[in-house]
Amino acid sequence: MRKFFGTSVVAVSAAAMLALAGCGSGRDGDSDSGGEAAKGFAANSLIGVALPAKTSENWVLAGDLFTNGLKEAGFQADVQYAGASTTVADQQAQITAMTTKGAKVIVIGATDAAQLSTQVAAAHAAGAKVIAYDRLITNTPDLDYYVAFDNFKVGQLQGQALLDGMKAKKPNGPYNIELFSGSPDDNNAGVFFNGAMDVLKPEIDKGNVVVASGQKDVKQTAIQGWKAEGAQARMDQLLTSTYGNKELDGVLSPNDTLARAILTSVKGAGKPIPVVTGQDSEVESVKSIVAGEQYMTINKDTRNLVKETINMVKALQAGDKPQVNDTESYNNGSKVVDTFLLPPVAVTKANAAEAYANDPKLAPLTK
Amino acid sequence: MSRIKDLQKNLFGGTTSNARQFGMIFTLVAIVVLFQILTDGLTLRSDNLIALFQQNSYILILAIGMLMVIVAGHIDLSVGSVAAFAGILVAKSMADWSLPWPVAILFGLAIGAIIGAWQGFWVAYIGVPAFIVTLAGMLLFRGGNQYIGNANTIPVPEGFREIGSGFLPEFGPNTGYNNATLLLGLAAAVAVVWREIQARKTRRAMDADPAPMWISILRMAIMVGVIAFAALRFASGRVGTSFPISGIILLVLVIAYSFYTRNTAGGRHIYAVGGNSRAAELSGVKLKRVNFFVMMNMSVLAALAGMIFVARSAASGPQDGNGWELDAIAAVFIGGAAVSGGIGTISGSIVGGLVMAVLNNGLQLMGVGTDRVQIIKGLVLLLAVAIDVYNKSQGRFSIIGSLMRPFRRDDSAPPASPPDAEREPAKAAVSG
Repeated sequence: MRKFFGTSVVAVSAAAMLALAGCGSGRDGDSDSGGEAAKGFAANSLIGVALPAKTSENWVLAGDLFTNGLKEAGFQADVQYAGASTTVADQQAQITAMTTKGAKVIVIGATDAAQLSTQVAAAHAAGAKVIAYDRLITNTPDLDYYVAFDNFKVGQLQGQALLDGMKAKKPNGPYNIELFSGSPDDNNAGVFFNGAMDVLKPEIDKGNVVVASGQKDVKQTAIQGWKAEGAQARMDQLLTSTYGNKELDGVLSPNDTLARAILTSVKGAGKPIPVVTGQDSEVESVKSIVAGEQYMTINKDTRNLVKETINMVKALQAGDKPQVNDTESYNNGSKVVDTFLLPPVAVTKANAAEAYANDPKLAPLTK
Repeated sequence: MSRIKDLQKNLFGGTTSNARQFGMIFTLVAIVVLFQILTDGLTLRSDNLIALFQQNSYILILAIGMLMVIVAGHIDLSVGSVAAFAGILVAKSMADWSLPWPVAILFGLAIGAIIGAWQGFWVAYIGVPAFIVTLAGMLLFRGGNQYIGNANTIPVPEGFREIGSGFLPEFGPNTGYNNATLLLGLAAAVAVVWREIQARKTRRAMDADPAPMWISILRMAIMVGVIAFAALRFASGRVGTSFPISGIILLVLVIAYSFYTRNTAGGRHIYAVGGNSRAAELSGVKLKRVNFFVMMNMSVLAALAGMIFVARSAASGPQDGNGWELDAIAAVFIGGAAVSGGIGTISGSIVGGLVMAVLNNGLQLMGVGTDRVQIIKGLVLLLAVAIDVYNKSQGRFSIIGSLMRPFRRDDSAPPASPPDAEREPAKAAVSG
């Protein structure tokens, strides 16, 4: 027993020493987090980009633009999408992996605006700057910048286009409309909806526009996860419950994916096509607009948004303060975030050719 | 040859069924080394190890419960939904009724227990297959989550976040390491050595052959080496980070449940029921009670996992828990459990979960997209189980096992049957 004990102590301590030796010594300290002094960072640093699941063409396009744009600017790019089903957990893991790899700037298109604060805090503590792309990240004081299209304006444009479109088809009201809004966990969904209601509410109050189903609350109109099948199912139900013998004049849809799902539902029910709004200028929707089905979409040129974001990264690299144009309106619950807002453009059949003239993918569709 | 045989037989527990577990540990080490090289040393860097544990502790906690469910011959598809349901209720309870967070945790566990009792009732006393009951539960509690939360994301207070994103505290003299983590490592090392000495004593007292001396020492050296390495890594993270609280919760659960499933009558009954429920019932096992217990226990652990995820995410959201059941089930099967029930260990499931976790993390560090990661994970799951099934159909357990065939001829009993495992209590939970 004695001998066993002696040998084992030797063996065990040898193993421990070995592990110790392989470990280097102690903590790295905080040599990395000195980035606050606005010194910038190396021109070939790693830039992480974490985007939501590939549920819309827009995110796929944004990913490609980031990959190429960052490479052109001399950075190393790590562009990641969340998985289709385990979105939030995936994105948390991806942001952490980018932090581990020493990314200097992490650009995040959040899947769930409120569930990333731990990861953003860790990234910030490791010396990375965090930019929220398109969707504001809430409940964190560690977010540095926000870059997005003016989403309230998007909603207003949608509301206005809906009114204009219905007036063009039928000069006098009252008009029957239905309202759809985006995923409740996406901070933008409410902003779009409020923007649109900002225009529609006065007309609804006047009785000129009627939400025939009575479902006006954002909780009733929301489509979880921006899922097309969710919108189609809701539209199917609205058509059976409310539009048996009424005419549907217009549908407020927050984006193109939902707009097409709504149109599919209406066509399936054999009803005349109402005025349907959209957003994102997806290829199928632009075709649909040119063919006279979907009424409008919003052109938020992803190219410009990505370009602006990369400009921010470049400014941070040089140690400058990135350009922002709104330091007041975007409070994420912990602080007011410095924001760069880009203006959106409403597109209908009338101005499609002009609006997409610079877009290599969409321009041919409008001819 | 006899030394190899000794090594195979004794290094990580005794019976042949452990050969597969040994294989999994080997795979885990191989994957870690592979990614360590491929990612230029990022995989084993302290911040990544810490993140790895934080990110996966809730899946591993689910795997513990899932192992017991699967060993008993059932399945639970509702764990993700139950986790989300408990998560939103706990978040709401703190936001709307301002429950203090420790009370909220108890409240969450109670919700898990109630849900578990509901599911256990249908499975054990009505006899509805667990697949159906938990499929219903999956819909029921997912819907409940959306209904209660209005599909909103609800933030949780700072104190509560500790269980998901907190670390062992900093105290004592500045050693360049986190002292609490070092102490934890030291305690673990002492426990390993003490256990080994006890095991040898017990075997000698029972007049059984203790494992050869050199094996004992080798095993201890390996384990202590791994513990020392891990402790130093976890202790040398950025100041303020160290071994995560969620990791501690996981460790405690692994140790407790390993002991329960291996060394207590109640635990062995689960194996007996899964192996042959009729025979178990005839020999006096209370079938209904065992089934009720495993289903209820699973939901309690699911509620805990849900709370840890919510704490880590700082908010409860409508997409919490999506797909968790599949991760947990995959971990259990990769860890060597049998689809038909009766076979499997907690430590095996943890190793299986870690294989998936390291694979996921390593691929992410290499910048492989989630689409390809999913493809790879799917193939790994299929291959791991296929190799096992194929080997069994060939009448051998593994490549290592097949080398040993000449020596196994006197083993008349089916190698992994519960009484066999009971007679020869396995000696070391490798990863626990």
